[in-house]
Amino acid sequence: MNNGEILAVRGLNASYGEAKVLFDCDLDIQPGQVVTCVGRNGAGKTTLLKNIAGILKPTSGSITFNDRNLIGMMSYNIAKMGLKYIPQDKKVFSDLTVRENLELGSYATKDYNWDQVTDYFPRLKQLMDRKAGYLSGGERQMLMIGRALLGAPKVLLIDEPTEGLAPGIVEHLKNVFKELSKKTALVIVEQNLPLVCAISDKIYAMKEGRIVAEIKDGESIKAGICEQYL
Amino acid sequence: MMNVFRWWRGILLAFFLLGLIRVFSPLPFAIEILIFSIYVIGCNFLLGRVGFISFGQPAYLAVGAYSTAFYLFYFGTNPYIGLLFGILGGLVVTVLVGPFFVRLRSDYFALVNLALAVIVFYLMEKVLAGITHGDNGLWFLTRMTSTPVLDISKPSEFFIFAFLVALAVWAFYKYLDDSVYGACCLATKINEDKLKFLGYDNFSIRLLAFVIANTTTALAGSLYAVYFGFVSPEMSSHSRCADPVVVTILGGVGTLYGPIVGSIVYTGMKDLISGVVGNWELLIGFLLVFIMLAGEKGIWGTLEPLLKKAFSRKGVLANLQDSGEKGR
Repeated sequence: MNNGEILAVRGLNASYGEAKVLFDCDLDIQPGQVVTCVGRNGAGKTTLLKNIAGILKPTSGSITFNDRNLIGMMSYNIAKMGLKYIPQDKKVFSDLTVRENLELGSYATKDYNWDQVTDYFPRLKQLMDRKAGYLSGGERQMLMIGRALLGAPKVLLIDEPTEGLAPGIVEHLKNVFKELSKKTALVIVEQNLPLVCAISDKIYAMKEGRIVAEIKDGESIKAGICEQYL
Repeated sequence: MMNVFRWWRGILLAFFLLGLIRVFSPLPFAIEILIFSIYVIGCNFLLGRVGFISFGQPAYLAVGAYSTAFYLFYFGTNPYIGLLFGILGGLVVTVLVGPFFVRLRSDYFALVNLALAVIVFYLMEKVLAGITHGDNGLWFLTRMTSTPVLDISKPSEFFIFAFLVALAVWAFYKYLDDSVYGACCLATKINEDKLKFLGYDNFSIRLLAFVIANTTTALAGSLYAVYFGFVSPEMSSHSRCADPVVVTILGGVGTLYGPIVGSIVYTGMKDLISGVVGNWELLIGFLLVFIMLAGEKGIWGTLEPLLKKAFSRKGVLANLQDSGEKGR
């Protein structure tokens, strides 16, 4: 670092107990970029994101965010710094209303301006008083992304955002990601190839815990060259 | 102004009804309900909001009671200062043990608190018997002096004082429930990892909840001490460790008024029905089994939605009538 990257991962190795799951992974992202990680199930995509977010501790390597080393930092401190993780399970705080879920995001970041959130996701406006447990999968994803947007994060790590969602909502999210990338860098783990091709500035293909390809060329991305890794 | 009234109306109605209990029942019964409710609300907050089940509440009750008792027996005579000592004692103990205890989860948390209750019991009964007078307890009823404004050494005025304290405690817990911190507590109970992703430190949230809840319990212990003018190790006896959990479940876990309803039912069975029916604890047992099988909501947890529905229907009717009149 630093060639203008906001987030740089170098030689990252990680294990689950005795089982090594990430091998010398390198990843860079610059402000305003959309980077996607593709690969089959078990390739290590989610593990990579969890290591960056501080949920798992890597065995070696470095993760630098805004020139600060993240290794050893608690996940909540990493989130406070502006690097937020949105997990794939779409589990929101089900007993809290949409409003309360957003308030949690606001309280942590002291950002009480929800206009951006409701601009991206107007549907949330109508659901403010509904318990999050009663939302559909798409609405939950909107809430999770909207909540993470509070505090103007510098990087969003989004794990399989479109998994199990209706095509209409996937299309909506695609447009949101395009808009979002103007303000926030995005690292997205995704298996939806058309979406990946439409939004990515760079694609990392993963296989068996290794980054096996880095596709930066716009033509190659549009051509869906990464399909071979899925 | 309307919003302030709306915020307070539930609490005021609850305490109006609680005040009626004083009219229709003996003073000691009403006082016991008030103090027991304060005792239980801490447990209710921990269980309902943070997801901590604690079988060690009697430990914090005893800490509050003994802190007050030590002051009133050895050092001074003003019960108000005694109460402050009780709260302070509870605060100190919870701040000391909290950082270790809140790292634990579910059954371990329950058991470590139970262990604390056993430790406190033996400390008060055996180890510190020189100053606690062991089984005999500490008597200081006659040492307490009259206090200005409300003379809490007199039971009738103590009732008013306890009533006001309980009102303040409920307002405080309602504020907590409505606050973002209350939402944080519930969020840490639902999914602590997700809360971390938003930038929250779960440990701090749980520790603060632990300190608040158990200091409230110590306040209840302190009130017991002043009211009875006596404390004994029996209050942290392991046979009483499940009481607050039982009453919390009876009333309705995590509901604001559950502790009051639970305390009325529990104390009512203990004090009133036990005179008529033997083995009242058996009735509590059956009631608990029924509540669990009926959906774990407790008495208030079941009643609250029904009442809300009934009142909202009335609201709808009133709105309809209003609009009808406007139409004319």
